[in-house]
Amino acid sequence: MSLLWTFLGIAFAGWAVARLFLGYGAGDPALRQLASREQAFVRAAADAVFPSGGGALALSGSEAGAVAHVDRYVDSLSPRSRVLIRLLFFLLEHATLVFPAPGWDGIRRFTKLSPAQRVAVLDAWQRSPLAVRRTVFQSLRAIVTMAYFANATVLRGMGLAPLEMESPVIDADLLYPPIGRPKSAIRFTPADRERTIVRAPLDPHGPLDPAYRENA
Amino acid sequence: MNDPRAWPGSVRVFAEYDRDFHVSADVVVVGSGPCGAVAAYELAAAGKSVVLCEEGPPFTPADYEIDGAISMSRTMREGGLRFTSGTVLPTMQAIALGGGSLVNSAMCNRTPEFRFQEWAESSELSRTSRADLEPHYDAIAEFLGIATTPDEVQGPRNLLFRDGCKALGYSAESCPRNVVACRGSGECFTGCRARAKQSMDISYVPAAIRLGAQVLTSVRVEQILSDGRRVTGVSGRVVAPFTGTPGPSFRVEAKAVVLAAGVVATPLLLQRSGNLANSSGQVGEHLQFHPGTSVLGIFPDPVDPQFGATQGYQSLHFLRDGFKLETLWAPPGVLAVRMPGLGHPLKQALLDMRFASVFDGIASCRRSEGRVRERGKSLQPAMSWRFHPDDAAILGRAIWHMAEIFFAAGARKILPGIAGLPDEMHSLAEADVLRTRTLRPSEIVVASTHVFGTTRMHSDPRRGVVDEDLKAHDLDNLYVVDTGVFPRSPAVNPMFTGMALARRSALALAGRV
Ligand SMILES: Cc1cc2nc3c(=O)[nH]c(=O)nc-3n(C[C@H](O)[C@H](O)[C@H](O)COP(=O)(O)OP(=O)(O)OC[C@H]3O[C@@H](n4cnc5c(N)ncnc54)[C@H](O)[C@@H]3O)c2cc1C
Ligand code: SF4
Repeated sequence: MSLLWTFLGIAFAGWAVARLFLGYGAGDPALRQLASREQAFVRAAADAVFPSGGGALALSGSEAGAVAHVDRYVDSLSPRSRVLIRLLFFLLEHATLVFPAPGWDGIRRFTKLSPAQRVAVLDAWQRSPLAVRRTVFQSLRAIVTMAYFANATVLRGMGLAPLEMESPVIDADLLYPPIGRPKSAIRFTPADRERTIVRAPLDPHGPLDPAYRENA
Repeated sequence: MNDPRAWPGSVRVFAEYDRDFHVSADVVVVGSGPCGAVAAYELAAAGKSVVLCEEGPPFTPADYEIDGAISMSRTMREGGLRFTSGTVLPTMQAIALGGGSLVNSAMCNRTPEFRFQEWAESSELSRTSRADLEPHYDAIAEFLGIATTPDEVQGPRNLLFRDGCKALGYSAESCPRNVVACRGSGECFTGCRARAKQSMDISYVPAAIRLGAQVLTSVRVEQILSDGRRVTGVSGRVVAPFTGTPGPSFRVEAKAVVLAAGVVATPLLLQRSGNLANSSGQVGEHLQFHPGTSVLGIFPDPVDPQFGATQGYQSLHFLRDGFKLETLWAPPGVLAVRMPGLGHPLKQALLDMRFASVFDGIASCRRSEGRVRERGKSLQPAMSWRFHPDDAAILGRAIWHMAEIFFAAGARKILPGIAGLPDEMHSLAEADVLRTRTLRPSEIVVASTHVFGTTRMHSDPRRGVVDEDLKAHDLDNLYVVDTGVFPRSPAVNPMFTGMALARRSALALAGRV
C-alpha cells in the first residue's frame, strides 16, 4: 500500500513539476536575466496588455521589444529586487492553476491560455475587490507598460518622443568622469565651457532626440 | 581658480580606489543630498576641513537614461522598487551624488508659519519659526538662483492648471525652483540634460570642492565610530556603482560627524552603530510620508505635454486643509501606468496622452505613521507604514478639487484612478461622487517621495533624537541634518526646509569644532 502511495506521490510531483516548469520552448539566449519560461510569460503578458494592431500604435508588446527591455531592466536591478520581480512573474504565471481562467480549459498556466483568456485573467486581477490583487496587477502592468514605452516607434506614434537637447559643459563636467571610468576619461577642457549652445525654451515640434528619430 | 581641476578640494570616483584607506578631517558629512551638500559647503566655507561621503556615483549627462524604467533602476535605491509594508506605499530614495536633487522636480517651497507653530508646540521648539529660518532660506535661494518658473517654459500642461484654479478662485502659484535657464523638457526625473536644474552635484558639491572639501563617491558608510559621548568618525566600504559589490574598506576620523544619509538610511546607521543616539527610543520611529496621488485630464486640443517644466504650477490654497495640489510630468511610460484598462481600449486611451495634463495632490498626514528598521544586517530597510482613513479622506478631497480644476480648465474627461469608481468621468456632475464619497485607503493608488520623522527634533531628550541645532541629545559632536529631523510634515515639498535647517545647524557646528 505504502509503495502505491509513494508511486502516486512521485507521479503527482512529476506532473506538478512538468506543469510548472516544462514545455516553454527555447528562449532568446542573448538575454542575460530572464529564463525561457520568464521570457514566455513576459511575452504573453505584454501581448495581452498591448495586442497587435490598432492605428497609430500598431505594435504589440512583444513587437515593441518588451521582452528584451524587461530583461535589461531586471539586469539593472539589485539581486533582491530581481527576486521580487521573478516572484511576481511566477505568481501570475501559475495563479490560474488555483484561480482558473474562464472556460473548461481554464486550469492551465497563464502562457498556455488563449489570448482572450489571458486578457480575462488580467482583467480579473485589475478589477478585484482585494487591494493586494490589484497591486499585483498594477506591478505587472507597470513593468510591461514601461517596456512598451521604451520603444521609439511607440513614443513617436503617441507624439511623446523626447526632444533634442544639447548639454552645455559646466564646472562639474571637469570634475566627474562617466560612471565606472577614471578621471583621466574626462574629455572636456575649461575652454569647452565657453561654447555657446541654445538655452532657449524647446520647440515642442522641434527635432527629436537622435535616438528617437525615424531612422535611428 | 577658474579650472576646477586646480581647486584645492577633490573628488574620488569608484575607478580610483585600489586599496583600503584612511583619512581625517574636522568634519565628516555622510550623504550628499540637499541637506548634506549644504552642510558640507557651509562647513568648508567656515574654514573647516570636510570629507563628504556618498554611496552613489556622480552622474554626468552621458550617464543619464531618458527611458524612465532604466533610469529609475540606476538612480534609485532598490531600483525604484522600494515600498512599505502595512499599507503598500511605493517610495523612492535616490542613490547618487546630489541625492534626491538629481532626480527631483526642484520645487523649493518654504514651510508656512502655521506649520512651524505646530512643530513648535508638539516638539517644544523655541527657535524654529519661519522668521528664524528666513535668513537661511534666503541665502540658499540666492546661492542656487531659486526663482519662479517663467511662463515661456510652462507649456499648456502647467498653464491649464493655472487657468482652472483661477476660474474657481483658488490660488495658483508658479513653482519656485532651483533652476536657471530651464528649457521646459519635463525630464527632471531622469536628470536635467540642459544642466539647468541646480542639483547638488553641480552646485553645492562643486562649491564645497572649490573651498577644499574632499568628496568620496561610491563609499558606503556602515558604522559610526564612538567613544562614550563622542563620535570619532565613520567607517565603511567602497561599493561598485549599481551593483553595490563591496570593495576596499575605509575609515574617516573626524572631530564631528554630520549624518545626512536620508530619512531611511540615517536611522539604520544609528541602529547598527550600537543603537547610537537612541536613549529616547525614537530613532526609526514616526516614519511619515506625503502620500500622493495623480489625476489625468484629457483636453479637446493637443496639450503636447512632453513640453513644459516638470512641475511648473502649484496651489497652496488648501494647505490648512491638509493637502497641496501641483502639476506633474514624468517619463510617459511611468505616467501611462496610471491609464486604466487593457488591450485595444488601453491602446486607444494611450493615444489621448497627447491631449493630457496630469495633476497630483499630496496629503500632509496627521495620523499615518510607521517605522524603519534594519532588515537583517544588510543596511536595507524594513519599513512599515499605515495609511490612516482620516488622511485618506483628506487625499480624497484633493482628488475632488483636482477634478474641479480640470473641468474648469476645459477638460473633456478625467481619469481619477479610484478603485470601484468609473475609469473615466466626463463632466463635473459625473465626478460629483468624488466630492460626496469618503475614500478609503485601499481605494486610492498612492506613492510618495517626501519622507520625514525618523530622527525627530524635540527639545526634550526623552522624546526626540536631536535638539534645535540638530545635535544628537545623547552625544556631544554628532549631528543629524536630513529631513528625518522634521517632527512632522512641513505641509509643502520638504527639500528647501531641510536645506535651511541643515544650513543653520552647520553654522552652529562650525562655531564648535
Ligand atoms: C522623484 C522625486 C521628486 C521629488 N521632488 C521634490 C521637489 O520637487 N521638491 C522637494 O522639496 N522635494 C522633492 N523630493 C524630495 C526631496 O528630493 C528630498 O526630500 C530630499 O532629497 C531629501 O534630502 P536629504 O539630503 O535629506 O536626503 P537624500 O536626498 O535622500 O540624500 C541622502 C544621500 O545619502 C546617501 N547615503 C545614504 N546612505 C548612505 C551611506 N550609508 N553611506 C554614504 N551615503 C549614503 C544617499 O545615496 C543619498 O545621496 C523629490 C524626491 C524624489 C525622489
Ligand atoms: S524641465 Fe527640463 S530643462 Fe527644466 S529643469 Fe527640468 S529637466 Fe531641466
